[in-house]
Amino acid sequence: MNGILRDKKAFLVFLLPGLLFYVFSVFYPIADSIRLSVMKWNGITEAEFVGMKNYARLLSDPIFYKAFINNLIYLAIVVIMQLTIGFLFALLLTYLTRGVSLIKTLYYIPCIITTVAVSELFRSMYSTQPEGLFNIILENVGMGAYATSWLSNVKTALVCVSIPEGWRFTGMYMVIFYAALISLDPEICEAAKVDGANGWQTLIRIKLPMIRPILLLTLTMVMTGALRGFDIPFNLTNGGPGNVTELLSTYMYKKAFGANKFGLGSAIAVFIIFESMLVVFFLKQAFKERDSEEKSRKKRLRREKG
Amino acid sequence: MKKKTLKILLAAVILIFVVIQVYPVVWLFLSSVKPSVELSTAPFALPKTVTFENYRQILEEGKILKYMLNSVKVTGASLILIIFLSSTTGFALSKFRFACNNKIYAFFTFGIMIPVQITLIPLFCFYSKMGILNSTASLVVPQVGFALPLSVMMFVSFYAFVPNELIEAAIMDGCSPYKIFTRIVFPLAKNTVITIASMYTILIWNDFIFANTFISDNAAKTVAVGLKDYIGAFGRVDWGRTYAAIAVSVIPPMLVYFLLNKYVTAGMTMGATKG
Repeated sequence: MNGILRDKKAFLVFLLPGLLFYVFSVFYPIADSIRLSVMKWNGITEAEFVGMKNYARLLSDPIFYKAFINNLIYLAIVVIMQLTIGFLFALLLTYLTRGVSLIKTLYYIPCIITTVAVSELFRSMYSTQPEGLFNIILENVGMGAYATSWLSNVKTALVCVSIPEGWRFTGMYMVIFYAALISLDPEICEAAKVDGANGWQTLIRIKLPMIRPILLLTLTMVMTGALRGFDIPFNLTNGGPGNVTELLSTYMYKKAFGANKFGLGSAIAVFIIFESMLVVFFLKQAFKERDSEEKSRKKRLRREKG
Repeated sequence: MKKKTLKILLAAVILIFVVIQVYPVVWLFLSSVKPSVELSTAPFALPKTVTFENYRQILEEGKILKYMLNSVKVTGASLILIIFLSSTTGFALSKFRFACNNKIYAFFTFGIMIPVQITLIPLFCFYSKMGILNSTASLVVPQVGFALPLSVMMFVSFYAFVPNELIEAAIMDGCSPYKIFTRIVFPLAKNTVITIASMYTILIWNDFIFANTFISDNAAKTVAVGLKDYIGAFGRVDWGRTYAAIAVSVIPPMLVYFLLNKYVTAGMTMGATKG
């Protein structure tokens, strides 16, 4: 950032509207959430200061743990679907010579549809009355015994509310990976081929390391996105049956807007933000360590040579 | 020969994936022109008779159009604010020389990490105290706030391409900073404006969580939340009308996407590669 204008008054005129709006709409709520999380408040009577009691209650709440574990499973499914499938098809697409832009356009469609519509589409595919697509397919391949009412079966419900979210953004990550892969210098891969590397080795040793920044980025996006997952589970099952599909954010929503426990709800909200920041921090750390390892190895090699 | 089979295999695999990605959407439009009887007996077959009865019914009833008008209001107001606030703030951060610029920029980028759920309870309480639940403004505030980090980043990275010499020359000619912005820099940012506007039209139109929290009054519902009206509790659902309503509601973002495809994709992937 190397500007040249130095007019202080004009600077403030340009800067302040955006900055103030941002502080009010994003940072005031964060501060207020932290304040509310140490209060007991039903939204009507005077709020009462209770210190860390809300957090203590969460730690002894089995449903909170359940929601946390569910959230991790949800996260795993979403990460696997979006990143591995996204990457795989991006890779395949790089071998395609024609129609790439049309295919990219089509892959992208699911992420421009509202989550309510996505939920309803999947609800009718999961349904039993009338028979939904999944059961029809199972019956047609002779596995009709596995047909079930996917969303009310306690064994399948969590997986079933995770899949639509995974499906929705797979295309977007594919487009991102594709852009990263085709921006690689083809000469490097050629050189590897000349040196006798096969396709697999080229992928693991050359292509993946070269798109590391994109990997870090997409991992951060997917993971923080999944930790705050809300719309589709909320619309499909709202945490049910029982608490089988409860996620942290649906639990927060229930506590705050269902049971009017705004203090407890805020404590969960603070936990979600804390968790997201922790993930970002650890991912950055993990990628940084690898980087420095690599550097020191290269240095050592150079020394040995010299 | 072997190479050719591989090529065909590759194309087939990619095509299967296209079908998985696109089929649900195509099926949605097909279902919306099916008579309700067919939907309950053979929901996944191709329609035998094409009918626009479902559409006629929901349009006549008119609820969906009202919801869409609400969505247009929220989306329009948010877009104007997003563009205005981020283009000016971006200009301040990139074309002025002050020591605090980098810190403020980092403060904006930090916002990308913040989950929107954190704002629900505080804003809900604030709005109910002010009596502005169920208003357009109650949705515009968080939409704009959470759009600012990325759009400020996009403007800053575009302004980096506007040469300082151009601005120096304008100063020589006696141009004030305000004129430099309105006459020179902002008009150059046309592509950035289209990118941000097209991407956020889709995202804001589709927003569910804010609307579901701050809007309970039927008169103020946006289309994403209003769709839930068509979906009964369990089982007894008029699927035909539900699909028609969903189809109508996804048409505007689809149009934006297909008309401005290049910009939308650029915006979203830029969002990825910058965040």
